[in-house]
Amino acid sequence: MIRRRLIPYFLLGPGLIWLILFFAIPMYFMGRLALESGTLETGFQFTWEWSNFTDSVSRFDSQFVRSFLYAGTATIVALLIAYPLAYAIAFRGGRWKNALLLAVVAPFFTTYLIRTIAWTTILSDDSFVVDVMRTINLVGEDGRVLATGGAVIAGLTYNFLPFMVLPIYASLERIDERLIEAAKDLYASSRQAFLRVTFPLSAPGVVAGTLLTFIPAAGDYVNAFFLGSINQAMIGNRIQSLYLFERDYPTAAALSFTLMAAILIAVFVYIRFAGSEALMGDEAEDGT
Amino acid sequence: MTLRLTVAIASLAAALALAACGDEGGIEGGGDETEVTTAAAEGEASGDLWVANWPFYIDRNTVDEFEEETGISVKYTEEVNDNNEFFGKVQPQLDQGSSGGRDIMVVTDWMAKKMYDLGYLQNFDTEAVQPAVDNLIPALQSPAFDPERSFSLPWQAGMTGLVVNKAEAPDVTSINDLFDPKYKGKVEMLSEMRDTVPLVMKADGVAPEDATEEDWFAAIDKLGEAADSGQIRKFTGNDYTKDLANGDAVAVIGWSGDAVQLQADNPDIQFVMPDEGCVLWADNMVIPVGAPNPTAAYEWMDYIYQAQNQAQITDYNYYVTPVAGTREVLEKQGSDAVKSDLVFPPEEFTADCSTQDEPPGGPEVVREVEQAFQDVVTGG
Amino acid sequence: MVRAAWNWVREHALVIYAGLAVTYMLLPLFVITVFSFNDPAGKFNYTWEGFTLDHWENAFGISDLTDALITSLELAALSTVISTALGTLIAIALVRHEFFGRRAANFLIVIPMATPEVVIGAALLSMFLIYGITLGFTTLLIAHIMFSISFVVVVVRSRLIGFDRSLEEAARDLGASPFQTFRLVTFPLLLPGIMGAALLAFALSIDDFVISNFNSGDAVTFPLWIFGAAQRGIPVEVYVIATMLFAVTALAMAFTVWQQRRAERLAAVLPDEPASEAPGGPMPIPPAPGSLGG
Repeated sequence: MIRRRLIPYFLLGPGLIWLILFFAIPMYFMGRLALESGTLETGFQFTWEWSNFTDSVSRFDSQFVRSFLYAGTATIVALLIAYPLAYAIAFRGGRWKNALLLAVVAPFFTTYLIRTIAWTTILSDDSFVVDVMRTINLVGEDGRVLATGGAVIAGLTYNFLPFMVLPIYASLERIDERLIEAAKDLYASSRQAFLRVTFPLSAPGVVAGTLLTFIPAAGDYVNAFFLGSINQAMIGNRIQSLYLFERDYPTAAALSFTLMAAILIAVFVYIRFAGSEALMGDEAEDGT
Repeated sequence: MTLRLTVAIASLAAALALAACGDEGGIEGGGDETEVTTAAAEGEASGDLWVANWPFYIDRNTVDEFEEETGISVKYTEEVNDNNEFFGKVQPQLDQGSSGGRDIMVVTDWMAKKMYDLGYLQNFDTEAVQPAVDNLIPALQSPAFDPERSFSLPWQAGMTGLVVNKAEAPDVTSINDLFDPKYKGKVEMLSEMRDTVPLVMKADGVAPEDATEEDWFAAIDKLGEAADSGQIRKFTGNDYTKDLANGDAVAVIGWSGDAVQLQADNPDIQFVMPDEGCVLWADNMVIPVGAPNPTAAYEWMDYIYQAQNQAQITDYNYYVTPVAGTREVLEKQGSDAVKSDLVFPPEEFTADCSTQDEPPGGPEVVREVEQAFQDVVTGG
Repeated sequence: MVRAAWNWVREHALVIYAGLAVTYMLLPLFVITVFSFNDPAGKFNYTWEGFTLDHWENAFGISDLTDALITSLELAALSTVISTALGTLIAIALVRHEFFGRRAANFLIVIPMATPEVVIGAALLSMFLIYGITLGFTTLLIAHIMFSISFVVVVVRSRLIGFDRSLEEAARDLGASPFQTFRLVTFPLLLPGIMGAALLAFALSIDDFVISNFNSGDAVTFPLWIFGAAQRGIPVEVYVIATMLFAVTALAMAFTVWQQRRAERLAAVLPDEPASEAPGGPMPIPPAPGSLGG
């Protein structure tokens, strides 16, 4: 009798312990590290160095702004691109649905780095694509695409697009078409039906998608590294540099914490605004 | 609800307590006061050898020929792209007395000294390394940082100056030309502080060996402005070569030998000695602590320091060879390298060149300067 | 009349748009595949210089690249097996059992997916640094398992939610023990979902760069090798291998989807409903929004 009640804990145990040990507890250590001071040569000591946190904000404020700007823009652009695509697949896909979804997910099957590097080829100063862009005046005569903020945003958008498409698709796909039919029966135009029925029902997907895009994008450094120049450096770039090149661990850890805090704040604000029901819906045992 | 909260807090506290248990209260720093060991050669050289070097630094055949001649199996990795980057990578292990399996690392003078001071390197077994040391050219026999060549042996020496795509930027002859707005966004400089900043100072008439702290900061500020305005596209390690090759950059601060190798892809790319002079440096082979096979390392060093082997390497990478007698071998082979100023620089060519210098003042100052430079390089 | 024409345009506009969007998504893949046949004179694979099969024939010619690839594959295999096992157990617990601490467990599972990789990698590195643990294959493995678990849970859970219990009930009615039911009914039907999750875990591991960058020490995985090589010029062989990986993973994914559809038809058919797709879609990846946090 007692055994039965313990079963879930046995099932959960190994995995949860792993997550606690290697995800949750490291956060504590990063916090410790953030409060230390010193250098590689002299060693690092724990000195309650709160100044690391304030320093991280003041020294790197422009990167913070830039990161959120790039991530935000990329999220919006991704939403604009993804929603119609998800809609098309869900409602017009028919037997091509799986193939289309596969195509959306396909970029994941190549290494993240290579796909970003492929963009440097596509967007390089002498490439066909950029020439076309110059002709249609999207880019100035002498302009270039690489090593600009635009290129980084384009890269972020591309790399995180699947994260936007799939949740929106999932929630669109669950919509009972009869609801839309009902709306039309009640004399709603297609546009009204969309705005009043479809879109609100897909809101959970939109919220999930925007979060799944914005959060990793804000911390990304790969796109900035390959597609941008030093003026496009994002917070992630600096964290990487501080940990791995400069070996200034306290500053690095403090910066990392600050990034996480900033993202959490942004996310909380967003969720309050967009409604938390969508995200943390309570789960029933089976079925929905 | 309160029960849940209590349990949550309790488990969090437990987790923290557990974590705090094993804590040492900080990370150990480097620079223990332990004695520097000597990497002794023992018996016949055999087994495996791991050499960690910079890219573009060796021809395709030397490693194979060495393996054939000695029976030693060589792992040659081109993993050093930048001194600081490499240091960052290996430091945690070196601190624990392990080299990660590497027997030889190749780092620039100042980094060799830094590593030695931190206790990360071993002294050479003087007997084993003597044949090689005997072959050193006079200019490199007794550098200030290692007068007796007790822990470093030059791999190649070189010059830092301008590497320019002559077709796109024909009139770049001085570092100051890199700040010319007409090349905006097509200029790159090295992330190696001790290359870039002295050059910028020289272009402004300041001799690096006499430079004051203010001079260093002033030069870094100048770089910062150029970076912010988008004049400088990037600060690079070896990757400027890629950007020159694909046209993303037209003029960069770069290393002499690279220019020659880039010419294979694009004959317009050339090394240009800046009007104000270049920076001279040498990259050195060092043996780290915990090197598994020093005996094989000495075998490698001796092999490299034989003139005909060295000739093969120099003929490929066009850097300045530290080995005496190489010139004659190359002449006999009829190699073009003999005629190149880059490989055998005549006096006048390097008359205005300086060696790499540290910022003046103690380690504190150096750190501040490095941090200021780093802020510019990583964007801010 | 005009209305009909307008509707026609609108209807096709969406499809045309979808076509364009998909082309956009596949563009880099196309470039990668094409450039794997490139024959550059120098070290750099940036401009098209000529067609050759050389690099395909000699794809594994660069020894440290091949070593890195092998390391990646080993890492991914181990990480997949362990994380799929751990994750599946968690998913079963979360869906099939009521217990105290469920919300907290749920929260802990979801949070890693919503944290930037930089922060996860940096935190793990911080812990390793403070304990003075040598970075290498082991630390990489630990990290990879850690971030894979959450994704496995989400995928398997969405499969479990759509699972038709009546089949299990039927088996019990026919005299099967709980264990037999699990073995003969539940598990086989769940298997495609688990396979899908495993595939996802595998792909995540092979592809991971950021977290590996922070926690690899001397170990070199395929993406890490590429990052290092990016400084000096990426050899064509990398493009070849990337194309191969893509082809293999795509095929595996297509296979899994096909299997899943079969399983769905078997598991989700109720007497008065036609075979329909289980919630969460045919693909293993989309976390249905309600189940993201729920």
